[in-house]
Amino acid sequence: MNNGLSGLGALAGPSLRDKVSDWLLIEAELLDDQREREWLEKLVSKDIVYQVPLRQTVGRGVGKGFVEGAYHLVESWGSLNSKLAQAETGHSWAEDPQSRTRHFITNVRVGQPRDGRVEVRSNLLLYRTRQDEAAPQIFSGERHDVLEEAGDGFLLARRVVYLDTTAIASHNLAIIF
Amino acid sequence: MANTNTVSQKSEEVESLLQRLHEGVDHGRVPVGLYGNPAVYEQELRQVFGRCWVFLAHESEIPKAGDYVVRKIGEDDFIVTRDQEGGINVLFDACRHRGVKVARASAGNTKGFVCPYHGWTYDIKGRLTGAPLWKSAYGEMEKSDKGLLPATQVDSYQGLIFATLDDKTPPLKEYLGDMAWYLDLVFGLNEHGVEVLAPPQRFVIEADWKSGADNFSGDDYHLGTLHRSAIDIGAFPVPFAENMKGYHIQASPGHSLSFSMAGSEEEPGPRFFGFPEELSSTFDTSRISQHQLDAARMSRVFVGNVFPNFSILLLPTTDDASKHPATGMLTIRCWQPKGPGKIEAWNWFLGYKNMTPELKQRTYASGLATFSMGGTFEIDDTEPWITIARTGRSVAGEKLQMDMNYEMGLPGIGIATQIKDGSWPGPGIVYKSRFEEGVQRNLFRFYGAMMSAPKDQFPALRFETEGSDAPAEAQAQA
Repeated sequence: MNNGLSGLGALAGPSLRDKVSDWLLIEAELLDDQREREWLEKLVSKDIVYQVPLRQTVGRGVGKGFVEGAYHLVESWGSLNSKLAQAETGHSWAEDPQSRTRHFITNVRVGQPRDGRVEVRSNLLLYRTRQDEAAPQIFSGERHDVLEEAGDGFLLARRVVYLDTTAIASHNLAIIF
Repeated sequence: MANTNTVSQKSEEVESLLQRLHEGVDHGRVPVGLYGNPAVYEQELRQVFGRCWVFLAHESEIPKAGDYVVRKIGEDDFIVTRDQEGGINVLFDACRHRGVKVARASAGNTKGFVCPYHGWTYDIKGRLTGAPLWKSAYGEMEKSDKGLLPATQVDSYQGLIFATLDDKTPPLKEYLGDMAWYLDLVFGLNEHGVEVLAPPQRFVIEADWKSGADNFSGDDYHLGTLHRSAIDIGAFPVPFAENMKGYHIQASPGHSLSFSMAGSEEEPGPRFFGFPEELSSTFDTSRISQHQLDAARMSRVFVGNVFPNFSILLLPTTDDASKHPATGMLTIRCWQPKGPGKIEAWNWFLGYKNMTPELKQRTYASGLATFSMGGTFEIDDTEPWITIARTGRSVAGEKLQMDMNYEMGLPGIGIATQIKDGSWPGPGIVYKSRFEEGVQRNLFRFYGAMMSAPKDQFPALRFETEGSDAPAEAQAQA
């Protein structure tokens, strides 16, 4: 089914879709296996734009409530690197002991490639537990990614994470979506 | 009968905790059982949030007629609106017909509000304007006394909108007391003033609102441990020991603040909280005194709390020390109570209105990277607060009568000394060096006074002896 109704327009064929889907699953594996440093250095473009927009409850017909220019997080490669460096100092309390996370990536839609870049949308369910708490924190949202072709694979050039809540049910966002 | 016993047991429990607080606070003891405690929390909603001036919004969030945001006093929703005359209204979000919430969104622009139940309709000032088939349903019924209930008193200071539900509460200016001098210093550095850079971030923490108030009253000592990793990566440019230089100030009962400040021109900066020259060169005495301007110039960090739950932080930070030097960033906070031992943190970032778009972008990026809910500082802050609330509601804490320790800076403890020689130009009870917890004792002393205040009395809003020892602390020494 490729009727152009997706926000991405006409979707890519199965071969690119498979390749991108594999990339997303491997990325999730790295993030869940405490391999963020490898993730940053091997899968992320030095020019990455990484944003988590802020959302408000708005009336029907006036959009989804994402406020232009307002964010929970805005990251560059340098700021992501700073955060990993912080976690690696050995006295970053928020993530030591580290959260247990599980990235569930579904509903993958892959756009037609253009100039070596491909737009990808996917649904994200991120399950997180801390310390001995049995109750998880769950984040649900949609990722709008741009992957750029690099050698045999891709680098993440852009990620915008549209979360499905206005108030975040978590004590921090010391995690990568 | 059993029920009555439970109620009186609960109130006895609260009374006994407050008694321990009253007796202990001047000696640096605060019962941990005040944290996360359901019975204490119920009393806080009425005695603290039902009576104090509570921060709701910044005026720049509702610039145009018809703009509104939904905010809270205690746990209750209030609609903050801007009307056609430019006035600000704070309206209890409950239809006068059956009490149904009438604001459907959390922010927007509207002509008014329609109750979804039967259609009672209100204008932006909250006045009842009609209902379906009015003549048949209500005919000549008086409308003028059936508007949305406004908060009892509403006022704003330096663009900060506050309201209170109690007519016995003294006016805002009197309530803020000498804290106003310090708010001027942060929000009034030039004629333009500040504006929000975005709507507030909101996140839920299993912690007591008092943890936020306590931390922002001037808990600088935690930087060296809790935030060591953020300092290690250069997110904040002033080393821990250096950053402890400055002043702790009890501005007025309940309201405290702290400055990290260079003691002389020779001592390291940054100056003006790390705001770049292009902005700080516009700071002047149009809205503040030369004393305030001079203090701001020597300042690296300002942190403060307006009782009960409104906090302010201004300091230099960076998202990426390898690329960008730290730049001044201003955040304001509301530690919104959301049940015993639970808060929803509301977090705004602000900029001076005359900042260039690039500078606004820079200060916002620095703020998001450090003091957003995913920021290098903020992620660690909530970590201890969660376990304080857990300790607070523990049976062990109750049975073992556990107190928290706030002795730092009491006479003979540590190096902090009270400034009495007039070398500090501002008001309040002032200590030099930030190894000091009088700022928090001031918070808890006033908290205790509010919690125990009879209905017809409001606790004293001025220290008994101006510019001298807090009388209670002097007594503690005797």
